[in-house]
Amino acid sequence: MVARSDLGCALRAALPVMLGYVTIGIPCGVMAAEVGIGPIAAFVVSATFYSGAGQFMMASLALAGTPLASMIASVALVSTRQVLYSAALSPYVARAPRPLAALFAATVTDESFGVNLERFVEDDSWTPARATLVNLLSMFSWALANALGALVGPALAIPTTIMSFAMTSIFVCLLVSRRWSAVTVAVVATSALTVVALKALGLGSLSVLLGAVAGVCAGLVAGARGRGEARA
Amino acid sequence: MSWGDFLVFYVCVLAVILACRCVPLLALKGRELSPRVSEALGLIPPAAFAALVANDLFDPAGGLSWRQLAAAGAVVVVARRTGSLIWCALVGMAAYALLTLVP
Repeated sequence: MVARSDLGCALRAALPVMLGYVTIGIPCGVMAAEVGIGPIAAFVVSATFYSGAGQFMMASLALAGTPLASMIASVALVSTRQVLYSAALSPYVARAPRPLAALFAATVTDESFGVNLERFVEDDSWTPARATLVNLLSMFSWALANALGALVGPALAIPTTIMSFAMTSIFVCLLVSRRWSAVTVAVVATSALTVVALKALGLGSLSVLLGAVAGVCAGLVAGARGRGEARA
Repeated sequence: MSWGDFLVFYVCVLAVILACRCVPLLALKGRELSPRVSEALGLIPPAAFAALVANDLFDPAGGLSWRQLAAAGAVVVVARRTGSLIWCALVGMAAYALLTLVP
């Protein structure tokens, strides 16, 4: 049973993400309609895939007539960064029941990862149940927006680049709001430069995952150097 | 795409997505982690957000767009002053929309 206070706290935390998802979910649903996915199917796909990048990619690859195996590989590859989020969140659900932990894990996205991690670190009262509610509320707004987009279809001309900048802005905010140190600078610079280099080389689908892994490695090296200098 | 193809696509991709999301969390849940692993896990958030921002701002075909960089700069100012996700999202979209009007 969900306490009303948990729902209120989760709703306040999820609201920015939900609004962002509505703004980009509608154009994503419009694209889904263009490849023949109706409102109900768009809702089901969005609630289960729950992946903006994957769903935009699915529609554009289908429109381009990409072979099935390539579509599966491309959309699966953009989801691999979730491995890192899942590992990073594991300490915070150590005492949660396994079914709740599984539901929480299955509904994490880039944005809800950031929102929940911030709360887990800064708010002692933040629980896996509240975090899961944030994920589910965000998922519901995403799925509903996609269904709405699929319902109205191409009749709605929406500038996707402007709408999707809401998500970029959320990532910038989550990045800037963190406590910064020399190690953070090394992590951020390495991640960003690696992504740019990999995208320039044509490795678009894997760039975020590999960029983040490179950033973590750089941070570990910088941290070890810092400790070595402090000892010397 | 036929419905048969779509079902194959859906089941395969969903299996990968759920595995990526659930397996690491459930495998590490409740385990005593070494300091090195804990340190690495703590570095994931800034690494992931920096990678996502770079991914959004850099287009291999067009390079870096000054409009997006300027809009992101406005978001940095708002994030520093308010720390509010919703204000950052609104200011980011408004700034980018206005900058697209500049020839």
